[in-house]
Amino acid sequence: MTDKSESRLHGTYAEFDSVDKLLPACRRVRDAGYTKIDAYTPFPVHGIDKALGIKPTVLPWIALGGGLTGTTIAVTMQIWMNGIDYPYIISGKPFISMPAFIPVSFELTVLLASFGAFFGMLALNRLPRFSNPVFTDPRFDRATDDRFFLYVEATDPRYDKKGVAKLFGDLGSGHVDEIYEDTSSNVIPKPFFILLGLLALAATIPPLIVARMRVTNSDKPRYHVFYDMDFSPAKDAQQVSTLFADGRAMRPDVPGTVAVGQYDEAMDFYTGIDMEKLSKIDAPRANRLVRALLNAPVAQDGEAPAAEEPAVEEPAKPESPVEEPKEGQQPAAEQTTAEEPAAESPPAEETPADAPAAEATEAPSTDAPAADVPAEEAKPEMPAENAAVPTAEPATKPENASATPAAVAPASAVVVDTTPWLTQNPVSISSEVLSRGREKFEIYCAVCHGNDGRGNGLVNRRAQRLLSTAWVQPSSMHQETLYSEQYADGKLFNTISNGIRKMPGYASQIKSHDRWAIVAYVRALQASQNATLEDLPADKRVEIKKQQELVAKRLAEQAEQERKKAEAAAKKS
Amino acid sequence: MSLAIPQGLDNTVERPGERAPLVLGDSTYHTITEMVSQIAERPPSKAWMIGFAVSATLASWFGCCILYLFYMGVGVWGNMNPVFWGWPIVNFVFWVGIGHAGTLISAILFLFRQDWRTSINRAAEAMTIFAVICAATFPGIHVGRAWLAFWLAPYPSLNLWMWPQFRSPLLWDVFAVSTYGTVSLLFWYMGMVPDLATFRDRSKNKWRRMAYGVLSLGWSGSSRHWMRYEKAYAILAALAAPLVLSVHTIVSFDFAVSQVPGWHTTIFPPYFVAGAIFSGFAMVLTLMIPARTIFSLEKLITVRHLENMCKIILATGTIVGLAYGTEFFIAWYGQVGEEKFAFVNRAFGPYWWAYWTMVSCNVVSPQLFWFKGNRTIPWRIVVISIFVNIGMWFERFVIVVTSLSRDYLPSAWGYFKPTWVDWSMLVGSFGLFFTLFLLFCRFMPVINMAEVKATLAGQLHHHGDH
Amino acid sequence: MTDHAIKSKSADDPSYQLPESLGALAVPMAIGGVVLLVVGVLLGMSAAPSARFTMSAYLTAFTYCLTISLGCLFFVIIQHLCRAGWSVVVRRVAEMMMIAIPALAIMYLPILFTLWVGEGDTVYKWSNSQYAAERGIDLASWAEKSRYLNPGWFTIRSLIYVAVWSGLAIYYFKLSRRQDETGEVTLTERMQARSGPAVMLFSLCTSFAAFDWIMSLAPMWFSTMFGVYIFAGSVLSAHCAIAAVTFILQSRGAIRDEVTVEHYHDLGKYINGFTLFWTYISFSQFMLIWYANIPEETEWIYARMVGTWGKLGLVLIFLHWMLPFLGMMSRHVRRNPALVFGWSVYLLVMHFIDIYWIIMPEAESSVGGAMGIVTSLLLTAGMIGLYCGGVLWFTRTNNVKVLAVRDPRLPESLAFENI
Repeated sequence: MTDKSESRLHGTYAEFDSVDKLLPACRRVRDAGYTKIDAYTPFPVHGIDKALGIKPTVLPWIALGGGLTGTTIAVTMQIWMNGIDYPYIISGKPFISMPAFIPVSFELTVLLASFGAFFGMLALNRLPRFSNPVFTDPRFDRATDDRFFLYVEATDPRYDKKGVAKLFGDLGSGHVDEIYEDTSSNVIPKPFFILLGLLALAATIPPLIVARMRVTNSDKPRYHVFYDMDFSPAKDAQQVSTLFADGRAMRPDVPGTVAVGQYDEAMDFYTGIDMEKLSKIDAPRANRLVRALLNAPVAQDGEAPAAEEPAVEEPAKPESPVEEPKEGQQPAAEQTTAEEPAAESPPAEETPADAPAAEATEAPSTDAPAADVPAEEAKPEMPAENAAVPTAEPATKPENASATPAAVAPASAVVVDTTPWLTQNPVSISSEVLSRGREKFEIYCAVCHGNDGRGNGLVNRRAQRLLSTAWVQPSSMHQETLYSEQYADGKLFNTISNGIRKMPGYASQIKSHDRWAIVAYVRALQASQNATLEDLPADKRVEIKKQQELVAKRLAEQAEQERKKAEAAAKKS
Repeated sequence: MSLAIPQGLDNTVERPGERAPLVLGDSTYHTITEMVSQIAERPPSKAWMIGFAVSATLASWFGCCILYLFYMGVGVWGNMNPVFWGWPIVNFVFWVGIGHAGTLISAILFLFRQDWRTSINRAAEAMTIFAVICAATFPGIHVGRAWLAFWLAPYPSLNLWMWPQFRSPLLWDVFAVSTYGTVSLLFWYMGMVPDLATFRDRSKNKWRRMAYGVLSLGWSGSSRHWMRYEKAYAILAALAAPLVLSVHTIVSFDFAVSQVPGWHTTIFPPYFVAGAIFSGFAMVLTLMIPARTIFSLEKLITVRHLENMCKIILATGTIVGLAYGTEFFIAWYGQVGEEKFAFVNRAFGPYWWAYWTMVSCNVVSPQLFWFKGNRTIPWRIVVISIFVNIGMWFERFVIVVTSLSRDYLPSAWGYFKPTWVDWSMLVGSFGLFFTLFLLFCRFMPVINMAEVKATLAGQLHHHGDH
Repeated sequence: MTDHAIKSKSADDPSYQLPESLGALAVPMAIGGVVLLVVGVLLGMSAAPSARFTMSAYLTAFTYCLTISLGCLFFVIIQHLCRAGWSVVVRRVAEMMMIAIPALAIMYLPILFTLWVGEGDTVYKWSNSQYAAERGIDLASWAEKSRYLNPGWFTIRSLIYVAVWSGLAIYYFKLSRRQDETGEVTLTERMQARSGPAVMLFSLCTSFAAFDWIMSLAPMWFSTMFGVYIFAGSVLSAHCAIAAVTFILQSRGAIRDEVTVEHYHDLGKYINGFTLFWTYISFSQFMLIWYANIPEETEWIYARMVGTWGKLGLVLIFLHWMLPFLGMMSRHVRRNPALVFGWSVYLLVMHFIDIYWIIMPEAESSVGGAMGIVTSLLLTAGMIGLYCGGVLWFTRTNNVKVLAVRDPRLPESLAFENI
């Protein structure tokens, strides 16, 4: 304040002590034609914008811009991250779930719009600004307390020191004075730079350490602040653990329990056998089956007739499966062998009764096993093979293996299959069940049995191409012995579950319901081969006829072509 | 320029057609500045020191518990199958709810032109921010490995090779609470800038002047600045109002989008918001009434301010009660077995005590505010407000614990028992909250001087007219 | 008052009366409304898909008018509760529509009547005794539910709702009119003192009426939010109606000096705010049901997400929320009375679509073809005609002023300025 005259004049102010004096003063000054005017007040004064001629601000547009940016970022970010770059299914929602994206979009919109409003306000006000000429006058300290200042800048074209002072005096101001530019040094003190430099230097240390760590090796183990479960024991099923008293890493199922949803009272459903009848005919066997069902720590749906025979009981000592086939290359009546699968395979002495040759049932009706052969279109297949299946029936092996086919055949031929197989599929047949059955059939069965069930699947074809000697031709479904009259549904189910001859059991892979579905599908497949046009609903017949004609025509064409080709080839040769 | 309104004037009575004054006593612009500034300028009072010592101790204890939790793992809590969302989430929702009053007072009451907000909005906004800090702590430490909490952010990670899951309500929460915290902070800070300038201009001490100078960003009080400032304030208010609703709505989504009986009900969003406002105002009253006495602010925070807040508590408390009733009715009306059971179980199951505490504190106790005596006698207000706070904590307890402890599978039912760490953290979070609040009272302008002066100006203006 | 001079007019100033050009419309509108309703019902009975469709269309039209009146009732109560000053100049407009509630309630009788004829399920399916058995609903829980949803108890509840609403409307209307004559300040105090309990009664009744009258159209569906949902649409439409009616009154010469740009600005803000509120409530309801995806709830949303109703749902998202929300976001729009009027009328149309979308899918899985649409429109036009005619007729015959001329806060309202 001492050297006012030396420094440059910045403007003149008038001090007022109330809004009511300030507002008219503002209007007067504005009307006098001054443009570079401003008022400094402790609170926003209503109506001063008009009085000073302040134009509206563009701030709302900045906020709007911020908001739209936020929405755009949020929407694209979420679509990109969850819908495109890293899509994964969660709670059944689509990858791009707009309703679920709305909350975050809203939040980001508000966030960026708020940033727009706040930082936009600061930018438009040129804040922060720590050096302001008006701050040089101590009277101005009251601008944030209880005084109102009207200010005309010296750069105003109409500015004239005396004129302004006079005008202000007329307005009833308590105090009028000039403001000069801030002459205090604007050099930032050196210690500040030194401090800043030191801080910057210190700030580089951690990244340097990190960088060094990343490029160098160390033979010391990683230092763990938090263990993050890095050292917690992770055990596999068969490993030893000290955690439990019994030393096992995994908990076995509690004996005598069945997991939720895994138990069905209908034993028949799991065995394919009418248990009621069986218990009358052969109580011990029924008993065994039930116990096996209840205790079996078994695959998938907790039912495993296969486990009726605990593996420990009689360790399987399968003869080398490779050599066996050779022994019995002669076409034998496969049907006569005892190939009753594991579920039934009992301790040795029960063999004859309990492992009835599946086809033994047919034996009485067809008299001679040999008679079955053509019907079965059986290819070389010998009984001993049964024993060679190492998987499910260890107990049967010794007997069967030791018995020559010849020896077994007569023996089993007289054994009548007394098992009361279910004759009806317990699953109610619907088109869903059939298509399910078809799906499973085509997954598990068709590779050998062929999609059409004629026993000529891909594996079979390949085996024939390789001239594999160990190969047993899979049965065709389309033979009378396998029709439901002779081969009950329950028995078919049992065969799928526990296997037959070289075919392994599928109980562990296909759930029982699905196995029943396959049975149903196989029946449908069989029916399809003997169906007449009359079996179809009337409206389909026309269509079928058309197709039949079409196929016939195409076949004829094909045959014609092939014939021509053959002729051409013959000519050439 | 002063207006001699007797300080003892009952400004809760308002003749229609005349507006009762909001600033009492022989107040001028300068006395307002004095009244507010002296709080920060005088050496701290004994009461403040004691309060600070106690709450800082509790806050440190909170910190120790968090370290202990990090070291031991989340097993130190009572969270156990089937109640995996135990007290941490109860506390989270409780604190977030408290944090709603501040921005509500600032934003929604501002938009509704409720002038009486001016005396209380600053402290309420500060309270918001501190409550959000307390709230954000709990889910942060509840994630188990808190040092990896940054995985929640959608940043391109070379280690994870994956993005956060934006279809999850928990991630919405992350965005909602962090946005809310940030915008509340901006709002609070922006509102303080002119008052910090007042502090700056009153400072005798150079360092103090420099500190407040930096904080006030060089605010000069220019009318052009004020114009943009008011615009920005209005925009922020317009943005913050739906934001307040959205935050507790999203918190309620955490529960309501699930299928847990008792959680999945469509009224949750508005009911949570009403509950949040309810508890927030109760907390404002609990804090402001002692503060008003200790700092002698009776002329600025008048009985009318308190009464208005009581009315809001009454209104929101009644909405909350209506929501409880609706939930119960629809649980019966819907005739869905699990849902029916969940509600009967709340009221008459093993947690009946929590449920009836909640009902009596949240629905019954605010009904006392129908009587004017209870709305105008400060100590009674404090007592009822504390009951409301207790009730609102129990509401979250009831929602979280009763529903989880007995859901669809009876074989998995359980009973939640808190551990000493749970208790410590609840008490400790109050310590943190009060520590921050006391620091705020000590160093920042607790009342928005500029806005109160504007209110006074209006009052003077009208007085001149009539 | 430096900037604003309060206009002093006598309380009998002609500009406070209903303009004759509007009053003359009363009888023709009412008669036209009745004719359209009759034609609509006849057409519906002969050409629309089903009796349920026709009656549901009637219920839609009724609900549409009722929600506007209820919103006005709420507006009046809440202004007293908050001791609001700004709104005094438009409060009478709200009161004029609010007092239609008792008369409007009579229009619900045909719906109530359907409960008592034949199977009783013309509109409300639950009234059919075979409902549960046919749909395989658990009979025990249905029996429990029938203790609430049965014609007798339903009728009693409906009467209670109507009684409460009418009581509140008549009370506030009477006191407000008495003040026109006497100018007693104590009347305002009385209305204020009663407003707290009044708003509680109102919300309780409205919430349950929404459950009963609309939500129970889908007997097994439930949503705790539903009352709030109906309420949100109701308040929004009431603000739109107030702005629109005020604009029409002004265009015919009434209250021209009293209602200023400032009041439109405020109404515009509220309309914009309640648009957002409606969106918030309907989105929350949708979101929670959609996300949890529980069959017993999803059916309602699903029926409205597919086919024609799905398209209408999209219309609601974009045209009930996004377009008006963005359109009214600017201060310049809200400060332009003609634009506020335009948006208000637009939102009133949208509100109809909203109600239509809520009610009609329970009657039919489509809009019922051209005849269905014509029936719905005829019934709606008829109901609106009757409603407007009734309001005008009542206002004219009782010589109701369109401004609360002696309200103690009128000066404050006249001088009101947005910051």
